[in-house]
Amino acid sequence: MSEIIIHSGERFEQVYLNEPGLDLHFVQEAGSTLKIHVLNIPDGTSGDRDIEISNNIVVEQIGEGCETEIYALAHLQGEAHVTTETHVKHAVGGGKSNQLLKFVLEDQARGRFIGDLKIAPDAQKVEAHQTNRNLLLSETAEMRTQPQLEIYADDVQATHGASTGQLDESALFYMQQRGIDKEKARQLLVGAFMKEVIEAIGEQHSAVREQLLNAIDGVVE
Amino acid sequence: MSKLLEIKDLHASIGGKEILKGVNLTINEGEVHAIMGPNGAGKSTLSAVLTGNPAYEVTRGKVYLKGQNLLAMEPEIRARAGVFLSFQYPVEIPGVSMTNFMRTAINAKREYEGKEPLSPREFLALMREKKKMLELPDKLNNRSVNEGFSGGEKKKNEIFQMAMLEPCLSILDETDSGLDIDALRIVAEGVNRLKTPENASIVITHYQRLLDYIVPDFVHVLADGKIVKTGDKSLALELEEKGYEGLSL
Ligand SMILES: Nc1ncnc2c1ncn2[C@@H]1O[C@H](COP(=O)(O)OP(=O)(O)OP(=O)(O)O)[C@@H](O)[C@H]1O
Ligand SMILES: [Mg+2]
Repeated sequence: MSEIIIHSGERFEQVYLNEPGLDLHFVQEAGSTLKIHVLNIPDGTSGDRDIEISNNIVVEQIGEGCETEIYALAHLQGEAHVTTETHVKHAVGGGKSNQLLKFVLEDQARGRFIGDLKIAPDAQKVEAHQTNRNLLLSETAEMRTQPQLEIYADDVQATHGASTGQLDESALFYMQQRGIDKEKARQLLVGAFMKEVIEAIGEQHSAVREQLLNAIDGVVE
Repeated sequence: MSKLLEIKDLHASIGGKEILKGVNLTINEGEVHAIMGPNGAGKSTLSAVLTGNPAYEVTRGKVYLKGQNLLAMEPEIRARAGVFLSFQYPVEIPGVSMTNFMRTAINAKREYEGKEPLSPREFLALMREKKKMLELPDKLNNRSVNEGFSGGEKKKNEIFQMAMLEPCLSILDETDSGLDIDALRIVAEGVNRLKTPENASIVITHYQRLLDYIVPDFVHVLADGKIVKTGDKSLALELEEKGYEGLSL
């Protein structure tokens, strides 16, 4: 496991696009900012349909006033399987962490999210949010969400939300009523669902952000 | 005058409950038909069935659009063939911009008609022109479809889409509800400007007020899944006065 230290006051942002699996360990010193984007969005051709990927992300806030943002997106087809584990530890108070993880699962694809969030006994005034939203596009796709919240401090704001659903039938019909075929309508809705994660990519990585957004929208608006 | 739409003995149900119980209606090119009727009579059900909403099951009857079996067509094919529904409750689609939505829709229709897709420039010019007609704001393009629109804005947006797509048969399901007086005039003027000798509309409404602007050739009363009375525009006035109870059938 590679350990990356974000020094006091520093800011680190990285996009991990279609990596074959990640094992990252970040240590944040006081006042540092960490923002990562883990994107497993293969284009669905041949070999991508049976990939097995495991992402393990560990973040430790060891200094006060740190900010952590974790975004993850997986769009899987065939027999693909992605497990993403996040271990976020607030060892000291005054920090913030925000996690948004989305899975779009087609065919027999399987997704798994293990969200481990620890707030140490003295880590007061921490604000920690974890959100997991999933879209199942077939009856045989499967999602497992396992939040593990260990909150030992009392003066904190911590939320966890998870939901798994299907495409909105009324939106599909509305688009069909305007002449858009069902497959294209599905693509538009899936793109809309995924966009939120991609739009979170900052200016430093705007080239990859725009490229991904254009791939979703077809053309520049 | 040639027949645009022919509905014959149409029966339809939802969740096993029969809602349409034998609707017959013929619409010729150039005509405006108003459909009125009590809440729950089946007016929106008729719109849903004509546009192919999969939630409804047609149990009997036939519908022809320009002689073609409408009920056998997929919803998107009906739309490309020119059937347009202004929804009673337009759907919000977060994350899908109006531009992307509209361009996809219009180019799907053009492809069906064997036409080239519009270039981005042509498309944007058309958007601008139609937005102006409905007095819609410029920023509409980047907004998600109907998301966060007020009730009236949603209805205007329906007629905007109608103006973009130029359907041969438009079904306006309570497009007047929720519109303020100015918006009602703008929407009605829009509908009137889109009228040609070749297209037709079905205007579903509860109020005479809309029919002052969009003057119908026929007024039908749909009650309990059937058309129980048909008249000219004076029937709407009579209904306004006496209500459905006072209707002599
Ligand atoms: N899913 C459903 N299951 C059973 N009944 C339904 C369902 N959806 C609609 N209905 C019923 O179908 C009937 C017709 O509804 P519809 O929406 O067509 O009426 P409407 O004439 O458009 O009324 P309104 O003037 O209030 O818009 C109503 O009695 C309604 O309750
Ligand atoms: Mg209705």
